[in-house]
Amino acid sequence: MDPETWQIISLTLGVAVLSTVLILPLGVALAWLLARPGWRGKSLVETLVALPLVMPPVATGLILLRLLGRRGPLGYWLEEKMGIEIVFTWRAVVIALAVMSFPLLVRTARVAFQEVNPRLEQIARTLGAGELRVFFTVSLPLAGRGIVAGTLLAFARALGEFGATIMVAGNIPGRTSTIALSIYENVLLGHDSAAFRLLAVSVAMAFAAVWASEFLMRRRAAAP
Amino acid sequence: MKLALKRIQLPLGRWALEMDVELEGQVIAIFGPSGAGKTSTLDLIAGLRKPRTAHIALDGTVLEDTSHGRRLAPQERGIGYVPQDGALFPHLSVMGNLNYGSRRTNGSSLFSTEHVAEVLEITHLLSDGIGSLSGGEKQRVALARALLSQPRLLLLDEPLASLDEKLKSRGLDLLRRIHGEFAIPMLYVSHSREEIAAICDQVICLAEGRVTQRGAPEILA
Amino acid sequence: MSMKTNLFRMVFACICTSSFACPAARAVDVYVSAAASLGDALKEIGAAYEKTSGDHLVLNFAASSVLARQIEEGAPADLIFSADEAKLDDLEKNGLLAPGTRKSLLSNQLVVIVPADSTLGIASAKDLTYPAVKRIAMGEPSSVPAGIYGRTYLEKLGLWQAIQPKVIPEENVRAALAAVESGDVEAGIVYKTDELIAKGVKLAVEVPLKDGPDISYPVAILKESKQPDAAKKLEDYLESPAAKTVFQKYGFIVKD
Repeated sequence: MDPETWQIISLTLGVAVLSTVLILPLGVALAWLLARPGWRGKSLVETLVALPLVMPPVATGLILLRLLGRRGPLGYWLEEKMGIEIVFTWRAVVIALAVMSFPLLVRTARVAFQEVNPRLEQIARTLGAGELRVFFTVSLPLAGRGIVAGTLLAFARALGEFGATIMVAGNIPGRTSTIALSIYENVLLGHDSAAFRLLAVSVAMAFAAVWASEFLMRRRAAAP
Repeated sequence: MKLALKRIQLPLGRWALEMDVELEGQVIAIFGPSGAGKTSTLDLIAGLRKPRTAHIALDGTVLEDTSHGRRLAPQERGIGYVPQDGALFPHLSVMGNLNYGSRRTNGSSLFSTEHVAEVLEITHLLSDGIGSLSGGEKQRVALARALLSQPRLLLLDEPLASLDEKLKSRGLDLLRRIHGEFAIPMLYVSHSREEIAAICDQVICLAEGRVTQRGAPEILA
Repeated sequence: MSMKTNLFRMVFACICTSSFACPAARAVDVYVSAAASLGDALKEIGAAYEKTSGDHLVLNFAASSVLARQIEEGAPADLIFSADEAKLDDLEKNGLLAPGTRKSLLSNQLVVIVPADSTLGIASAKDLTYPAVKRIAMGEPSSVPAGIYGRTYLEKLGLWQAIQPKVIPEENVRAALAAVESGDVEAGIVYKTDELIAKGVKLAVEVPLKDGPDISYPVAILKESKQPDAAKKLEDYLESPAAKTVFQKYGFIVKD
């Protein structure tokens, strides 16, 4: 494999790992919150979280571009006041991947938290554990497998993300050209063998991640 | 122990739990058929359910008072709970379960893990996982776990329900021994007259969410 | 004067002259948003340009519509090289182009292709009205540049009404090419540059340049460019003989 292909693969893996790590704390916390019954605004939050999953990725990309572009509310502040460029850099790729994969993590982790026997959390409270301790010592460990499964799913989604990424990060070889974007470019230029090579890598990685995720979900059902 | 359960109103499925009693005793039983609201009563006392209205006080300490908007969180009530299925933490070993709520014993060896385990005859299980325990063993571990948090009151929901006759009588002996050894008042839910007669000094009867009788265990005969 | 002092003076002089030379030779990042179809040509031209100018090209390849959107939202581009005049019209209307820098650099040729094993004997655009030709793949006739040009040409010949019901609109020209390659359609309308890289198709009709629509790949410098001088230098280079040779190699027609 030539160095250019290696660069594309390592860039893709790097941004996917980074975006997954970034969404973990908020995603798990939100999943736990959404697993708790009826609080005000719960339906609204659930719907907002699900949006990137059901909207056309290009639409999501457009919204991100509007927010993070030089003239956008966030982008202006970041670029003018802090000198940080987002659009057309790897940062935009990470943000696009994070937004698109976030719902998968939250929804899977939420199911995992819902399956934790609430009795166990209640008993923990009677034994004197505060809410934070209940979360870290009972809820989180028992939801563990499901959370990992959700993380893997989010990672797989990040690996394959295209529509939002090209909009907000552009397709810049060497900087933002991920596997998905490279496949697109190679197809448009008629470089079929290069496209298929990248496709094979993409499928292999996604397959591994989703397979592992499914395996964990099955194991989770068997556990007490 | 003095336990005040005043102006209790808690909607359940088919009926509502309504109580207005003051209980006094060392081992008090709640007797009634299934669905009468016995477990819900325990949940209320432990702070695991929110009533529509209630005034709950234990030995003078107000645990809950809806008319003044006061509520002690379950963490702060100092009430141990042994639910019907034990509810042991599956991801922790027996030792891990026991240590979960145990307070550091300040000098007193009465509530040390070793002593409690000895009284409850589970010393040989300490390093095991909970998956290999029998029903009776699980109950004893749950009981030990609650005891180690040095509660002011122990709630027991049908602790002997899953045991056969021989183990039941052993279980009753154990409970007597615990009460004698650790001097913690207990609230004991059961639908067995024999069990109640064996260890309780007071009983209230619950049916369809209401108190129908109260007094010494003899009233059940 | 001692040898040491002479040496010192020489070194000092070198440093001085080189530091005066440095500001002009400082490498600059030039952001170029370009239509994906120009990818191969621009990568080759870009590599050569980087050697001679010392500037670094940051190339962003996407569909012309995406490129325009990005620029409208303030994405950092110095030069835009589009396949769609209409998109540049929009940018110009919104005052995003540096005045006087818009040029039409390249053109292309419309062709009709058929699957390699086709026996339909299509020799002119009119033959597309044969009943045997049931489906024709082309870029979306209202949004994809190649599709718009195709429609314009067929309208000029008065054939559009007859042909439109047979059109299978595709999101991009490569998809149209793939449809013809797979034999799912009887014919396709694409660019000459696409036909050159295709396998499994054969050329049926080459629309003569004088008859065909005025296909244009315009280039322009963005008003908000942070390196307008470097962008100008690059724009000029794109018209150089060296660059022209590369474009022609890939099948583009260079405008004079």
